[in-house]
Amino acid sequence: MSTRAQLFCAWCGVGFLVLFSIGWWFIAGYIPPMSPAMSAHEVAAFYQENTGLIRLGMVITMFSAALSAPWVAAIAVQLKRIEGESPALTYALLVAGAVGVVVLVVPPMVWTTAAFRPDRDPELIMLLNDFAWLFFVMTFSPFFIQNLVIGLAVFGDKSDVPVFPRWVAYFNIWVAILLIPGGLITFFKTGPFAWDGLLAFWLPFAVFFGWFVVMFPLLLKAIRQQGLPAEPA
Amino acid sequence: MSTHSAGLVSAKTHVPGEVGIWVFILGDMAIFGLFFFVFVYYRGLNIDVYLQSQATLNQNYGALNTLFLLASSWFVAMAVEDMRSKVTRLAPRFFVLAMLCGLGFAVVKIIEYREKITAGITLTSSDFYMYYYIFTGLHFLHVLIGMGVLVFLWLKAKSAVQRKGELPIADKAKEMMLIESGASYWHMVDLLWIVLFPLLYLMK
Repeated sequence: MSTRAQLFCAWCGVGFLVLFSIGWWFIAGYIPPMSPAMSAHEVAAFYQENTGLIRLGMVITMFSAALSAPWVAAIAVQLKRIEGESPALTYALLVAGAVGVVVLVVPPMVWTTAAFRPDRDPELIMLLNDFAWLFFVMTFSPFFIQNLVIGLAVFGDKSDVPVFPRWVAYFNIWVAILLIPGGLITFFKTGPFAWDGLLAFWLPFAVFFGWFVVMFPLLLKAIRQQGLPAEPA
Repeated sequence: MSTHSAGLVSAKTHVPGEVGIWVFILGDMAIFGLFFFVFVYYRGLNIDVYLQSQATLNQNYGALNTLFLLASSWFVAMAVEDMRSKVTRLAPRFFVLAMLCGLGFAVVKIIEYREKITAGITLTSSDFYMYYYIFTGLHFLHVLIGMGVLVFLWLKAKSAVQRKGELPIADKAKEMMLIESGASYWHMVDLLWIVLFPLLYLMK
């Protein structure tokens, strides 16, 4: 069996991380995140001073987001190996992953809308900026389900040579729980649970990145294992 | 004598449950550790305001819940011990008692939340209550997951009693591993509360 397409999809996950970092972090400069306590004029000034970089960064960010689709698909193929004829968790992963792409594509489009006419009313720029940040940091639910169903599927792996080691199940459920604090940012403008806070932004952000780093080699290993010729009975 | 010392050695090197549960437990405790560190840091910057808010907490609820969780942890430990040696009818009963304690914790917590919310104290009332609601809320989520885990352990214990504990050694080891993993998780839920309780309710 050829697993070349799966390997390509798995590498798309790396492409996502790299391009996303370049566009969102290094070019547009959204890290460290701007404070939700900033005034409308400060927010507008950010867009007026960095107009070109934000526009360019958001093109790259928007493109990179869709690379998470093949990545999720590669994990789904491995989950399907675990689940066999009743792949409910696999389908849940695919649906959640598809929604995840939307969650990653929409905020760059809103940020770039703010940078489209940076000379407009600062209040309106702040509105767009708020919308993009809230959409981006608060929407943990599809990623929560994504990690949860991976965890549940790995728990259900009863085969002699499991697709993923069992600790991966615990790891994914741990990650799922850690994404939850992002949902609290709607209540705060300052402090650790604001959208630029340690516990609502930095922690879930680091965990989300770390999840890719941990899952990537495990996924490659699982794909290679699948590609091995079956042992003669 | 030799069997006795062999038992000692294995007791010393035995890590309860499977490796994965410790990935979760240590990971989770590290995160709660970070939470507590953040709380203590910001509290130190503005201690009087935090103490004012803290004074409006009802320590009895916190203390009662500490007793509930300590008792439930003890019941779980007794059940695991029973499963490990004789497998009597006591094991599932201990798990039921542990669940009842967990339920007691949940009821007290809900009463406490209700009381605070009807008094107009919410997540955004003060920094102290922000931490109070978020930390106890996340802990409460762990308790709810733990109740599911206890139901699972209870079912395992019940089926073990029904077949009188007789199982091939490999299967028995696997069963014990699952039971110890679940029990370890529940002990962690207890431990987190034992840190949360003094941190939020008592620390002066």
